[in-house]
Amino acid sequence: MIWKIPTTTRAHSIGRVFLLALLAIFSSVLLKAARGGIPEEKASFKVRDDLGREVSIPQRVARVISLQPEASRILVALGCADNLVGFDYFLNKYDPLFPRLCPRSQNLPVVAYPDASVNLEHVIRLNPDLIIASPYDTHVPDSLQQKTGIPVVAVSSLGRVEKLLEEIRLIGRVMGRSERAAELIAFFQETTARVSRAAGAVAPEHRPRVYLCFWSSLVRTPVIYEPVTIAGGRNVAQDLAGNHSVSDRTVVSVEQVVRWDPDIILVHGNYSPSQRAVTVDDVLGDKRLRSIKAVRDKRVFYTFGFWSWWDPAEVLIETLYLAKVFHPALFQNLDLVKEGNAIYKKVYGIEHGYSILCQSIQCDEWLKD
Amino acid sequence: MSGSKTNKDRLIFGLAFALPVVVFIISLNIGSYPISPRMLFKVILSVFSPSSQPGLPAALKDIVFQIRLPRLLLAVAVGATLSVSGASLQALFKNPLVNEYILGISSGSAFGAAVSLVFLGKGFPPQIVAFVFGIAAVLAVLIIARTSGSHIVALLLTGIIVSAFFSALLALVEFFASPYALQALFYWLMGNMSLATWRDLALSTPLMAVGVILLIMLRWRMNVLSMSDQEAKAMGISVRREKILIIVACTLATAAATAVTGIIGWIGLVVPHLVRMVVGVDNRRVIPLSASLGASFLLAADALARSLASFEIPLGIFTSLIGIPFFLFLLKKSRRVWL
Amino acid sequence: MSVSVRGLSYARGNFRLRIDSLEFESGRLTSIVGPNGAGKTTLLMCLGGLLAVPRNRIFIQGRDIASLKDAERARLVSSVPQEHNPIFNYSVLDFVVMGRAAHLSLFSLPSAEDVRLAEESLAFVGLQSFASRPYFELSSGERRLILIARALAQRADVLLLDEPTSFLDPKHEIEILELTRKLAVERGQTILLTLHNLDMAIKYSDSLVFMKNGGVFASGRPRDILSDALLESVYDVRMKIVDCEGQKLILR
Repeated sequence: MIWKIPTTTRAHSIGRVFLLALLAIFSSVLLKAARGGIPEEKASFKVRDDLGREVSIPQRVARVISLQPEASRILVALGCADNLVGFDYFLNKYDPLFPRLCPRSQNLPVVAYPDASVNLEHVIRLNPDLIIASPYDTHVPDSLQQKTGIPVVAVSSLGRVEKLLEEIRLIGRVMGRSERAAELIAFFQETTARVSRAAGAVAPEHRPRVYLCFWSSLVRTPVIYEPVTIAGGRNVAQDLAGNHSVSDRTVVSVEQVVRWDPDIILVHGNYSPSQRAVTVDDVLGDKRLRSIKAVRDKRVFYTFGFWSWWDPAEVLIETLYLAKVFHPALFQNLDLVKEGNAIYKKVYGIEHGYSILCQSIQCDEWLKD
Repeated sequence: MSGSKTNKDRLIFGLAFALPVVVFIISLNIGSYPISPRMLFKVILSVFSPSSQPGLPAALKDIVFQIRLPRLLLAVAVGATLSVSGASLQALFKNPLVNEYILGISSGSAFGAAVSLVFLGKGFPPQIVAFVFGIAAVLAVLIIARTSGSHIVALLLTGIIVSAFFSALLALVEFFASPYALQALFYWLMGNMSLATWRDLALSTPLMAVGVILLIMLRWRMNVLSMSDQEAKAMGISVRREKILIIVACTLATAAATAVTGIIGWIGLVVPHLVRMVVGVDNRRVIPLSASLGASFLLAADALARSLASFEIPLGIFTSLIGIPFFLFLLKKSRRVWL
Repeated sequence: MSVSVRGLSYARGNFRLRIDSLEFESGRLTSIVGPNGAGKTTLLMCLGGLLAVPRNRIFIQGRDIASLKDAERARLVSSVPQEHNPIFNYSVLDFVVMGRAAHLSLFSLPSAEDVRLAEESLAFVGLQSFASRPYFELSSGERRLILIARALAQRADVLLLDEPTSFLDPKHEIEILELTRKLAVERGQTILLTLHNLDMAIKYSDSLVFMKNGGVFASGRPRDILSDALLESVYDVRMKIVDCEGQKLILR
């Protein structure tokens, strides 16, 4: 299409200039948007996230949206509660403790939903410097970053202690709280070391064999659950770990559980009792399981467990709790309430954290007979 | 020859009795807990004379009688139910692509289970509400289609619409459900028999038995009903009444099965076709043989699902993985037109 | 009289069937003829109980068919449809045995006697050797015969056939009409046919019923009512009846 540009009148030349100026502005906006909108001069360092993505993090992160519950908790633990400007539905609706950890969260907008969708417009309106997302929805971080132009980091502990500590370190670095992160990590390692040292006194063959029934079902169990190992127990499902086709969470058969004949059965308990599909009473009363040692000895208890995300404080409490369950004599002086509250104080700076947790899930009843 | 018992007929019916029994016995030997056939025999003996087998570990008895036996019996009942329902509805709707869920039972049951697990929680076994909504879905179809004269096409279309409606409702419930209830629901939806207990059997088997027996008794009638409505009426059949009777029998039985085991697909479609490929389309043979083959099929699928890996493969996946290739293979092999 | 119609009025969409009085002789073959849309098939369906008619309109063997249950009615009158779209490939004998449905209760299976009657019907139409053949293998002429065999197995007093000879070649056309004639003569059954082919209708029928615009235009023995004028009035086309080697032919 050939544009006939008039060359004579003055009005025409002004028009020409105006048009060219408009074209220049328009193309620069397009170019900026195409580049992802990150002003290169402000980016200070790159990190590699759990999906292997290299993300440029700005020098100063003042506003953070966290779509990943674990990260939200870690942010609060790092003292960045005030930087949080948006979070996800799960923490908003299903975590009774989080409003205590972060009181302002009650007024925070929810921007991520159960089906992994994200409210893009709202995210952009909130104008965050950084978004922390979950690596489980593999396509989300890239698409989110492209569409909003905001750096997205995907991290998670994926149910491993080592990765949890890495996550704390990473978020600490990103938020400029590396010292506090190191402090938390050290505290975490000290506490677990305490337990594993004491439990280490027990010979391997005397460590109780434990079956974990998590996730609303008698037959769903985590193949790897480190708190059990740290507390001096043996997860029977670990037999399956070498098998490539077995995922971290696997479905076994009732027969397999009977075959394993565990000494202790632990039932997932860190959610509202009214929602529990499998209860300790169910297990004790199930005719199919009655030949199992744990059922005969009535060593069936609740434990905290986890759904998809960890709370660092709760992981520590889980480890202490399991130590008491596995080796009551060794840890009989361990005051769970006292230790628990201390952990919450250290990690989140709140009082009576453990007691508050017990109010919603009644965990203080678990070891009573 | 219709009616007369030729040798071929006797052979076929003999096999029909023997097959599920054989598969049952083999399946009884399969499971994560290693029990040799000799041990198994001793365990069974110990029920009849407890004193004869003193040293038997208690675990063995529980494995056989509390875990394997109810599961196998459920497989027999559900396999027979789904196959017979599928076969009956194929005759009724004069359409080989029809399966037992065509009138909305699966979507209704799934929604019912979701409502129960999410809103009624622990106190309520999801089977009851799942059953109620399975029936409700079919009732809705029958009532809505009535305004168009209950014609076959009207029933099919209404079935599709009602299914879609309940699926949408299910998605809504899932969206608002807590992740805890959601886990239990997904597990139910995948179709499984791993948690089958005697109680489940007691709840559902009477209904399944009534439905299947009724359908078997109506098997010749289905031949006539597989003609056009007009022809059937001309031959003296009260078409509407008998159609409803068959649909009711299928619905009660299938809803009872689905409520307990979740949605196990493909059986009601594949098994009747396999039977027809071998014995022809006369429903006097197809219906009872579908019961037998369906029971064997599900027993086999369940046995494989249990034994192939250390974890349990969801049964619905299994029935597809076995059913489809086998079906394609037979389709290729059989040269005569079978439909 | 075997079949009588009194004051029948049936509306179906824009079409209206209206018959004040009509009798069909028992033990005779009657052809119902007329232009397209005259209501032949509708009348046949009403007579067969396939369309809902009010009480006291249609009587077969003196019984009001509207007051009968389906099975009772089917023991009085059987219908052979014009079209048949099979989905399942039954064997011929299994197909014919279905005709026994009116004599079987809900949960019964056909007995040896039922099978024998089916085989007999099959023999009557000359296809006894076809018993175990699958239905799909049959030609259209053979399929027509099987449909008739099935209606015969029903052992009803009255047999209705809708366009039994359409799309058939002359040989099969004659075969079927000879068969129906034989039924009337040998078994004393009352046969009602609808036919398009006037020549055949005249040749084989004891009585003719001419229909036009949803009503009976004329009825009676062919020799009594046939005339050029009648045919022209019914079909709106000039026709001429000629005698040829003892047969009547219609020139048009």
